[in-house]
Amino acid sequence: MSTLSKVAELIAENAGVDAKEITMDTTFEELGLDSLDAVDLVMACEEQFSVTIEMDEALKTVGDVVRLIDSQKA
Amino acid sequence: MVKTRLCELLGIEYPIIQGGMAWIADARLAAAVSNGGGLGLIAAMNADAEWVRNEIRKARELTDRPFGVNIMLLSPNAEAVAKVVAEERVKVVTTGAGNPAKYIRLWKEAGITVLPVVASAGLAKLVERAGADGVIAEGCEAGGHIGELTTMTLIPQVCDAVNIPVVAAGGIADGRGIAAALMLGACGVQVGTRFLVADECGIHENYKARVLKAKDIDTIVTGKRLGHPVRSLKSPFSRQLFSMEYDPNYSNEELERIASGSLKRAVEGDEKQGCFMAGQSAGLVKKAQPAAEIIKEMFGEAEKILGSAGQWIK
Ligand SMILES: Cc1cc2nc3c(=O)[nH]c(=O)nc-3n(C[C@H](O)[C@H](O)[C@H](O)COP(=O)(O)O)c2cc1C
Repeated sequence: MSTLSKVAELIAENAGVDAKEITMDTTFEELGLDSLDAVDLVMACEEQFSVTIEMDEALKTVGDVVRLIDSQKA
Repeated sequence: MVKTRLCELLGIEYPIIQGGMAWIADARLAAAVSNGGGLGLIAAMNADAEWVRNEIRKARELTDRPFGVNIMLLSPNAEAVAKVVAEERVKVVTTGAGNPAKYIRLWKEAGITVLPVVASAGLAKLVERAGADGVIAEGCEAGGHIGELTTMTLIPQVCDAVNIPVVAAGGIADGRGIAAALMLGACGVQVGTRFLVADECGIHENYKARVLKAKDIDTIVTGKRLGHPVRSLKSPFSRQLFSMEYDPNYSNEELERIASGSLKRAVEGDEKQGCFMAGQSAGLVKKAQPAAEIIKEMFGEAEKILGSAGQWIK
């Protein structure tokens, strides 16, 4: 399973949206996630993938998170 | 005496912090609170770094006790102010509006105690991991910019999420609030609204009069549509802003333009265009007093209540 689809599943669970509709370009804003939701999502990803993600304003899309995870796993 | 680990952490007598309040919390108020045994804060808001340096030096002339600086991370000057507090080696830094992780190392190297303000358990965990010494968990009863959760529900959940000390903020204005906060697991309180009427607080008399007159139902939350809700006292201005948010004819830019600068106008006493920010505890604030007296009175009450808590166990 790709990182994207795993992250999409996590988001789907937490935000109650359809995982199939989530792409790399989907923004947190489009998902209806505010900055605090984004913090919780990032923490959930950290647990799932055993990585450390620095939260900052640059994280805007699902792809931003996926790329960070992949760069640490590589 | 009410003593907690916050007293040791900050080197203060009473476990109370005076919240940073933009345009309001200056050297004079901060020093008065610190001289009264609490921890006073200077609010850096959007001010430039040299203003902040000046206020820090002024406060040092007014008190020998520890005090701190509150930094708004969204300020265009945040980076420069972050450096100034490190250079000046202030005792404590609190941060609002975001995640201060990238500055924490700089501040720790300068020996500063770092206490970010958080509105969720997730953010509390994140800043704990980044090295924060404690968190100030602020419920939506508070005045100014607010989150979603109430103090009653936020404090125990943040206490469960982290191991560092938790300070409770939002809705606390007397000894009952302090006692309740300690029961919820906090080791101290941060208070803003009640200090608005401190004698050493330099806001216009109109502002103080409004806080003193306010009752329980007299606050309103605006700015939800813009994504940054703000609690203030009801007034024709805040009511108008509130209804405009539901009117699609007004663009977000227009709303921003009307709201911007409105706290400063309130501080200057502008009854028409001012946004008099204050929390739901305004209804509990009845008397203008010196800051030191406010602190003493609050902890006198708290001590009594906590002392008689045994009565509930049969
Ligand atoms: C007029 C006003 C301005 C405020 N400005 C700031 C600020 O610039 N930065 C910040 O972190 N908190 C700010 N706050 C929040 C206070 O620091 C404090 O956390 C809050 O007032 C506590 O709740 P209370 O109002 O119920 O006492 C402000 C509050 C008020 C009432």
